[in-house]
Amino acid sequence: MKFRFQPRSIAFRLIVAVLAVELFSAVLVVVLSFGYERHFHFHAFDVMLQGRADSVLGAVQDADDPGDNVMLDQADLHVPPEDVYEVWDAGGHLLGRSSNLKDAGNWQGAGPGAPTHPFGDFFRSTINGHHYRVLRIQGTRTVDPGEKGGGKARQVVVVYGSPTSHVWHTIRGAVEFYAAGGIVLLLVTGPLIAWLLHRGLLPLRQLAALASQVSVDSWQFTPPASARTTSELAPLTHAIESVLQRLERSFLQQRAIVSDAAHELKTAVAVIKSSLQLLSMKPRSAKEYQAGLERCLADSQRLEALVADMLALARAESSTPAPGQPGKTDIADCVHQTVAQLETIATLRNVQVLFPEPDLNPNPTHVPIVPEDCTLMLSNLLLNALQHSPPASAVELLLNRDAQTAVLVIQDHGDGIPLEALPHVFDRFYRGDPSRTRNTGGTGLGLAIAQAIAQKAGGTISIASQPDPALPNQGATVTVHLPIAE
Amino acid sequence: MRVLLVEDEVRLADNLAAALRDGPGFAVDWAEDGEAGDDFARTPCYDLIVLDLMLPKLDGLSLLKRLRARRDSTPVLILTAKEGADSIIQLLNAGADDYLAKPFDLGELLARAKALIRRGKGAAHPTFTVLGLEVNTLEQTVSRNGVFIDLSPTEYRVLEYLIHRPRVIVSKRELLEHLYDYNWEHHSNVIEVHVSNLRKKLDAAQPEAEPIIETMRGRGYRLAPTFPPEAGTSAESGAALKSIAEPGK
Repeated sequence: MKFRFQPRSIAFRLIVAVLAVELFSAVLVVVLSFGYERHFHFHAFDVMLQGRADSVLGAVQDADDPGDNVMLDQADLHVPPEDVYEVWDAGGHLLGRSSNLKDAGNWQGAGPGAPTHPFGDFFRSTINGHHYRVLRIQGTRTVDPGEKGGGKARQVVVVYGSPTSHVWHTIRGAVEFYAAGGIVLLLVTGPLIAWLLHRGLLPLRQLAALASQVSVDSWQFTPPASARTTSELAPLTHAIESVLQRLERSFLQQRAIVSDAAHELKTAVAVIKSSLQLLSMKPRSAKEYQAGLERCLADSQRLEALVADMLALARAESSTPAPGQPGKTDIADCVHQTVAQLETIATLRNVQVLFPEPDLNPNPTHVPIVPEDCTLMLSNLLLNALQHSPPASAVELLLNRDAQTAVLVIQDHGDGIPLEALPHVFDRFYRGDPSRTRNTGGTGLGLAIAQAIAQKAGGTISIASQPDPALPNQGATVTVHLPIAE
Repeated sequence: MRVLLVEDEVRLADNLAAALRDGPGFAVDWAEDGEAGDDFARTPCYDLIVLDLMLPKLDGLSLLKRLRARRDSTPVLILTAKEGADSIIQLLNAGADDYLAKPFDLGELLARAKALIRRGKGAAHPTFTVLGLEVNTLEQTVSRNGVFIDLSPTEYRVLEYLIHRPRVIVSKRELLEHLYDYNWEHHSNVIEVHVSNLRKKLDAAQPEAEPIIETMRGRGYRLAPTFPPEAGTSAESGAALKSIAEPGK
């Protein structure tokens, strides 16, 4: 087992917190025990003091003199030698004092005066350099109780003191015991808590160890069962899992894109290279060379179109907007321009493009795209519709708007899109029908570019098609939703 | 020799077919997707399949696995745009005989195609020598006892096919299937004329010897019927012997 606690570690902080709480509790226990012990022991001390004062009072006897005075008989008085006492009568005459008291009045507050409290006054005093607790009580001694009238009552005042040092000693001992107990507890629980925390945080460490093994080459992440079942770690585990899954998906997607792009580019280069090598394989006539060169030129134009489309896609997909002011295009204007641009191709394919003048309110309707991108997006969509239209058919464009959205619908009357191809039409380099799109010179990027442009502007493009052999020429419907720029 | 080209890129397929026809004079059939390629490959008349990896409908690797699963041992040359040793190892382990990475050199493709056909028929060297008849498949020249013989392209292709399989009876149909592309049946009448002309030209170079191509009525043709079965005279005859030992080919 290895303990490594950095100041920022959870274990370190928890241990410090627990030890601080323990230390606080120990101090509290010491303070409380000090208060309790002092109260308890001084109470007992006071009772003892009272008892001894009473016994001193008991030693006051009839002096057997004519004045009916009292005297202190010290012969039968047994008190600890360090204790001090003085006895006074009501007249302020000293009746007697303990032998260790040299002279009267060297303790503060004690004297012949009557105590204010019915059970006596307690006060502190320092005698011969020692701390004493002193009790002053008033007692009554009856002289000649056998005589008529019950004898004479004589008031006496007893002042009795006992040193407090041994009481304090006892209290200190008790407090020291509690303090020592607290320290031992701290010393024992510190490592114990560390060990328990180390064990308790095991699922976290296992999770971290497994998560650290994930890399670009190995996305495998199976969280330990302990992490899954720990309520604090379950959300974290789940988050790591889903993040990794998303990352892996997008990473594989990126890798597939690069691989597809490489394949397309290499194939295009292979075509040009093989065309040239074929031409130089043997001597040929000028006419053959001419034809070969034209083929090579057409091949390099395809490569050029491919590179241009790839760059357009990369630009449309980049998250940073183009420099300069954010784009703003009149969508109706843009559709008109696009239709005009593709008129030649439409005529060539004998397809009619129908775009009824839209009834937009308010007009013009602006979308947040730069004009070039808008034209690129629309021409890609329209070109796609034209390429899938049979001769003598029509492509219908319909532009509409509501408060926030402009909606453009492009409807063709071709064969439609097979159900299995529908989810892939926006994929890069996807060709629904390889031979046809190859013949029309498509790069397989047109729809992907259009979608990227629409998404960058916060819009969407959806495509719907229900090819039905019974109802031919249903075609496909492309719907573009674009937010309206203020 | 007849080659099946499976490639979805029309322009590349055009160029490859033209090169294979113009250069070594192979007959070429072209399939533009994997399924079509698989259908074509079911006829046992190809001496080589040139296969692109990324194809619509059925990819090249799956086609290759299907081919090998039905014990078709036709040599396969893969055209790939993929990088990395992993995919090459996977391809070779799946039964590919060779591969070329795009963009490739056309001359290299032709050389590898010829080598694969040669190897597929059990020969190691591009020059064949049988009974004084020497055929150099690189230069496409034929000589008998040092005398060069001028042959028409079709005559040469007939001889090239027969020299790969000495002493084996090659039927007219087999010859037709391997020399012409999918419309070989149109050529069934002229093949006899080509063989007859070829025999005349070969025998004219050494009139005293026995006819080098024997016609077996109703069964086909046989090159070098009296080919001595001596072993180890040269690498070429060794290779030829090896192909005799496998009459099933």
